[in-house]
Amino acid sequence: MTRETRRRISTFLRYFILIAVGLIMVYPLIWMVGATFKTNNEIFSSAWFIPKEPTLSGYENAMKSYGGDIDLIKAMLNTYSIVIPKVIFTVVSATVTAYGFARFEFKGKGILFAVLMSTLFLPQVVLNVPQYIMFNQFGWINHPLYLALIVPTIFATDTYFVFMLIQFLRNIPKELEEAAKIDGCNSVKTLWYVIVPMLKPSIVSCALFQFMWSSNDFMGPLLYVNTPAKYPASIFVKMSMDADTGFEWNRVLAMSLISIIPSLIVFFLAQDSFIDGIAAGGVKG
Amino acid sequence: MRKTIKQAVSVTLVSAMALSLAACGSSSNSAETTAASAAAEETTAGEPAAAEGLTVNTTDPITITMSWWGGDARHEATMAAVEAFMAKYPNITVEMQYAAWSGWEDKMSASFATGTAPDVNQINWNWITSFSSDGSAFYDLNKVSDILDLTQFSDSVLSDCTVANELQGVPISMTGRIFYWNKTTFDQAGLETPSTLADLMAAGPVFQEKLGDDYYPLAMNELDRTIFMVFYLESKYGKAWVENNELQYTAEEIQDGLSFIKSLEDAHVIPTIKTLANDGADSLDKNPKWMEGKYAGIFEWDSSANKFHDALNEGQEFVVGEELPDMGDYQGGFSKVSMCFAISETTEHPAECAALINFLLNEEEGVKLMGSERGIPASAAGLQICEENNLLDPLVAEANGKVMDYVSFPLDPKFEAAALKNTDGVYYDVQAGLSYGDYDVETAADVLIEGVEEVLNK
Amino acid sequence: MSTKKGFKKWISENLGLVFILPWFIGFLIFKVYPFGSSLFYSFTDYHLFDGIKEYGLMNYEEIFTTTKIMRSFKVTFQYAFMTVPLKLVFALFIAYILNFKIKGVNLFRVAYYIPSILGGSVAIAVLWKAIFKGDGIVNMILGWFGIAGVDWLAEPKYALFIICLLRVWQFGSAMVIFLAALKGVSQDLYEAASIDGAGKWRQFFSITVPIITPVIFYNLVTQLCQAFQEFNGPYIITQGGPRNATTLISLLIYNNAFKSYEMGLASAQAWCLFIIVCVLTIIAFASQKKWVYYSDEDGR
Repeated sequence: MTRETRRRISTFLRYFILIAVGLIMVYPLIWMVGATFKTNNEIFSSAWFIPKEPTLSGYENAMKSYGGDIDLIKAMLNTYSIVIPKVIFTVVSATVTAYGFARFEFKGKGILFAVLMSTLFLPQVVLNVPQYIMFNQFGWINHPLYLALIVPTIFATDTYFVFMLIQFLRNIPKELEEAAKIDGCNSVKTLWYVIVPMLKPSIVSCALFQFMWSSNDFMGPLLYVNTPAKYPASIFVKMSMDADTGFEWNRVLAMSLISIIPSLIVFFLAQDSFIDGIAAGGVKG
Repeated sequence: MRKTIKQAVSVTLVSAMALSLAACGSSSNSAETTAASAAAEETTAGEPAAAEGLTVNTTDPITITMSWWGGDARHEATMAAVEAFMAKYPNITVEMQYAAWSGWEDKMSASFATGTAPDVNQINWNWITSFSSDGSAFYDLNKVSDILDLTQFSDSVLSDCTVANELQGVPISMTGRIFYWNKTTFDQAGLETPSTLADLMAAGPVFQEKLGDDYYPLAMNELDRTIFMVFYLESKYGKAWVENNELQYTAEEIQDGLSFIKSLEDAHVIPTIKTLANDGADSLDKNPKWMEGKYAGIFEWDSSANKFHDALNEGQEFVVGEELPDMGDYQGGFSKVSMCFAISETTEHPAECAALINFLLNEEEGVKLMGSERGIPASAAGLQICEENNLLDPLVAEANGKVMDYVSFPLDPKFEAAALKNTDGVYYDVQAGLSYGDYDVETAADVLIEGVEEVLNK
Repeated sequence: MSTKKGFKKWISENLGLVFILPWFIGFLIFKVYPFGSSLFYSFTDYHLFDGIKEYGLMNYEEIFTTTKIMRSFKVTFQYAFMTVPLKLVFALFIAYILNFKIKGVNLFRVAYYIPSILGGSVAIAVLWKAIFKGDGIVNMILGWFGIAGVDWLAEPKYALFIICLLRVWQFGSAMVIFLAALKGVSQDLYEAASIDGAGKWRQFFSITVPIITPVIFYNLVTQLCQAFQEFNGPYIITQGGPRNATTLISLLIYNNAFKSYEMGLASAQAWCLFIIVCVLTIIAFASQKKWVYYSDEDGR
């Protein structure tokens, strides 16, 4: 076997695996697209994605509004007016905190790091009520600016991201920073000009996760937003679901589908930053 | 210097802790004091509180909040009715909060627990006991009986909504369980739809023989089975399941009930729990076997008639059945208040809230807009207006009528306690355990009795 | 020494503290009270609407003496130890492949992340059950090979595996993190290795894996945290059944907290879970010395 044929076989195998696994990954989305054109009965009785008797009623109803207060587009705008500030604040605060933990020595660092980690270990359900009491004291419930949802991210409270950036930072050698220091950069400048560019792929992943998770968040907005006009899409798409008398599933699925399109686009665009990462990573070795 | 910072940090830490403890303390204190005051009231009051002579303010601008859950039709009808109310009382603004059921109970429990609940709320019947065992969460509606016309409601439904002598909420509708049949499948089997237990028992083997192993005349999940078992026991032994906070049945009687359910499975009348789990549907209306007619009967809420009707594939005929009268000498069955409107104790405008509820349930303009989106009205006036204007859903009205005419035993609200009826609760454990063969009838009965008594004694 | 100068000196010696200050303030404002009160509740019989009547260890006693609760801890362990390794291996493998320069790699990356975007949506719940139900797709395919169907959803010993598969399938976020880490591995190293004649797999195990160990470690710890707190999978697919085989501890915590309103018991269960995850994390951190390589450390 020549080198050329071996290469071809390996390329073929690689694509075969990628496409086969890829289909399993994408099938639910394909099915969901098909299901938006199906009737209730077909949705629950068939795992095949092509609708037998396609109906457009799901999409026709998807654009309905409630008393003119809220419709899908407004709900999606609400979603992003929560999500975008959250992403920005999280990225900034998590990077700064991670820098402090990863690159400096100070007294009590071990304990503080343990405290930071431990906030990941308690299920949110038991924190909901005390948190609700607290935000009520602050007057943040049903606040038009979604303070209860957004403000905590200014303070890097999603320590999941802080820990992530710490781990990535610790994987970057200190030489460049030391060189920057000799050139007279202070630590803030070092952070901005040296660390941030090298951390870019992981910072982008942080932003991406916060974007996806906050867009999907249901319980947070349900607890802290009372006015239907301010509902984000995660609540809005479920509003027609009447468990008692039944409802049209194709409409719910159509609305969910429309509401995840921005997430898909954002993810697709964010990939360029991973590619960019190659250049940044080149400093190593 | 370093020391001072350290001190400052520790001071903030300590004060934060103190704050947290203080807050814990205060919440428990307030609960205790309300409990104490409620107990004090209970000892003095024998009669329901008299109307306090509040009047509806028709001049000053007032804002009240109102909450409900539901689907599209209910959202639209309620919004229209509330708009009409605001047109009638131009000084009152009603802020509406609504969404689907999913997660709603969590939201409402958090807001009731912190005293931030909306003024007027659509509540589930069991919330009157689960949100406050002492009546401290909801405003006593007897105090506004001159604004909210309570004479439209029967004494028995009002007493179902009374806790500690305080009327917690006013019932919007009643609901209960009834049989629905797929007539097409019964026709295929050459049978009439069952009107007695004997018919039903006989249908099992016929289905298996004529139509195949997949076909069953009835399908019931764990909760349906428990309700049906209580139905059977009440019909046979003539006593309510729970009365005066005590389980009325002996271990032998409950074993009889569980054996009855087991006999349905053995006679091919109902599929096993395992068969249902294998169908991969979380409720029967999403189960292809119900859609196709392989399961030809269900024991479900009257209010859900349309959901199950609509789920059938084309060409299948859906009929509302009869409660089965030959299970014993008494008329058992299962009915309850489905939901209420309640005013939260923390409201500043009880009179205006009462006016809103009265408008929605008793006044022609409101009732017409509300329709029967929350079931068949419990208010006599409301029902009459709906009937005159043809606003009742015929299927639901038929089912509701049959249930309400039949059932003769009261239901204890704790029947629906979460520890019992949740999927990790006692009913599921007992019925699935019996069906999977993990429990024999004796053990299952013991587990059920222990579970029910634990809930009652809490 | 003037105080001002002393302060400046202190700052320059403790710059790290200045950087972590925002997080610390946030912790004091937003976390101390909820954490403190839930710990406090765990030693009371706090009922959301009846308040507190008793203090003591009764909740912990109940946890250790109730078979149902102990069983659900056991199920949670099984679930976590099944899901985490599978997910990590799968995510790393796919990330490694997607890191090559191949045509259409962008599309593949999106495709592989889609399950994570869909999350716990209704569509997933419906489809997942359609795949594994008695006459579902998996049993149909088994049937082609003459293999008898398995009661995936109805048989207690298999149901947990279905939930586990769902979460392994949603490996997207672990994959993205691995991808970001792989991008940080210098191409020079690979080139040097291929000159030495090392094959792709040798390169993977002797160059790639050691370099990204901090990120593997990160994924291990956070996936463990998430697996022990898993709620949505069983909630949407099996509701904890059949026969409580998929009743993970967080399902019980949720039901106690928001269905029965037994906040005291729910908090105690949550704190038991907290201690378990804590111990596992401490073990993981202690094991770091043996296998995690940090570039910012001297030696090695």
